[in-house]
Amino acid sequence: MTDFETLVEVKDLCKEFSVPGKAKIHAVEHVSLKVGKGETLAVVGESGCGKSTLAFLIIKLLESTGGQILLDGHDITHLHNKSMREYRQKMQIIFQDPFASLDPRRSVGYAVGEPLIVHGEESKGAALNERVGGLFERVGLERDHAQQYPHQFSGGQRQRVCIARALALHPELVIADESVSALDVSVQAQVINLMMELQQDMGLSYLFISHDLAVVERIAHRVAVMYLGQIVELGPRSAIFENPSHSYTKRLLDAVPIADPRQRRERPLLTGEIPSPRWEHGTSPELVNLVEVEPGHFVAEE
Amino acid sequence: MRAETPLRSETPLLSVQGLTVTFDGFTAVSELSFDLYEGQTLAIVGESGSGKSVTALSIMRLVTLGTRAKIAEGQIFFRQPDGSTIDLVQADEAELRKIRGNQISMIFQEPLTSLNPVYTAGNQVVEAIRLHQDVTKAEAYQRAFEVFERVRIPEPKKRLKEYPHQMSGGMRQRVMIAMALSCDPTVLIADEPTTALDVTIQAQILGLMRALQDETGAAVIMITHDMGVVAEVADDIVVMRNSKLVETGNVFDIFEKPTAPYTKALLASIPRLGSMTGKSQPERFDLVDMDAPV
Repeated sequence: MTDFETLVEVKDLCKEFSVPGKAKIHAVEHVSLKVGKGETLAVVGESGCGKSTLAFLIIKLLESTGGQILLDGHDITHLHNKSMREYRQKMQIIFQDPFASLDPRRSVGYAVGEPLIVHGEESKGAALNERVGGLFERVGLERDHAQQYPHQFSGGQRQRVCIARALALHPELVIADESVSALDVSVQAQVINLMMELQQDMGLSYLFISHDLAVVERIAHRVAVMYLGQIVELGPRSAIFENPSHSYTKRLLDAVPIADPRQRRERPLLTGEIPSPRWEHGTSPELVNLVEVEPGHFVAEE
Repeated sequence: MRAETPLRSETPLLSVQGLTVTFDGFTAVSELSFDLYEGQTLAIVGESGSGKSVTALSIMRLVTLGTRAKIAEGQIFFRQPDGSTIDLVQADEAELRKIRGNQISMIFQEPLTSLNPVYTAGNQVVEAIRLHQDVTKAEAYQRAFEVFERVRIPEPKKRLKEYPHQMSGGMRQRVMIAMALSCDPTVLIADEPTTALDVTIQAQILGLMRALQDETGAAVIMITHDMGVVAEVADDIVVMRNSKLVETGNVFDIFEKPTAPYTKALLASIPRLGSMTGKSQPERFDLVDMDAPV
């Protein structure tokens, strides 16, 4: 249904964490989705819905407990260290807090150059510095910035450094896990623009994990809505935002404050919270049944 | 819903005049002035480092506690419930203790760090009440029960006995609001009260704050970076940047006819839900130059 050739495909992916008391947290439950080449798939949901776990599973920072991950048609679900290395280059991740993901005692140029050395593309020297400088320019920083340390930068600049590092190995998929959430709005807009520009120029695919629906509406081609580890609605951006069909998607959209004082709405006074994904041994959540209501637009039956 | 702004014939409840706060020579707030009236919700908006939180802490005179900050200049006049006016900048600790948490109270962004992990929620609210009111433990407990009901905490009796870690983020923030309201303050300062919460919980807390304000008539100063939240709750706005006031006015005027380039840039960079309706492809933001001359 998408106009994009598939880059990553995830089939029935599951992740359960054992917790004390003979129980398991079902963080990701039989999730299936595809990310196309040059496409941005946004995964939205609230804290604890499993969206970050899903990202970690795909990039294999966590081992899945069931299902399959295909990258360019290759099954990478059970690959480890060495056999995984060539695929790691193709997938990179940018985290929420750029300060926490940069070593405070190393220059940012080192951070960006390190993946090139680790993967044997360059060794230390002028050629490496040249490539690092080029990457800095690519993300809107100065070449000279490479010698500076993380604390000398603002939050937006640090996130640009993390983007430069992610781009160093010419990845095909970039996972952005709440990558713009910690930034001030004006800076956030600049970084989002940069990400979209890079996508256009380099044909990158993004898996954009976010809780911010307004940002997602800007950047995504398609959107998956997660609730308690499962996808409850998946479809093109326009379908999700203009014709939300699952009750949870509607609830999420209704909750977003609108930056227009003439559109104030009544707010619920009662409490209502997301139930726990913790299940005793022998019990498990009911799996939703996704139905295609219009081409490419899947909604869980209620 | 409160559509019209309150009448402004009376004298302000709180009047900040020429406030300047410095940290070792660095100016965090510079010559800031604004007024707050009864029943009004004033939003102070700005990005990181604009001085909005320092302003809030200065009103509570918390800014100088344990820091090298100094209120270098300015006055903060506060009209007390007995009708007398006091300058909070000049007030001594004894006077401030009577005001803090009692007549002016504050809610912070992260309820888990504001609550003591080793005491039950009930204990902490009872403590706040008994600090300011001459009541017995049993009376204070009854009062805590009532404020828990007021902030719509389900099963208040059970929740009073719970510890902070047993509650969700939204519930903890309700406890903080309950504590802040327990002494019927006339001014409530909320510093990013919903920033750490999920969007559906944020909607609940914003709805709750609005309802409580209608019920109690308290004036609210809402410190936030989120223009969506501002549009939802504020009567008036103070826009701050780099320690200075950039623009101030009625919420409708600021959103519809912003005059300062910074306000325009800020408004242009907000992702707005619904702005992409009918468009098939993702679209970049039209960025406005923040430092453009007026």
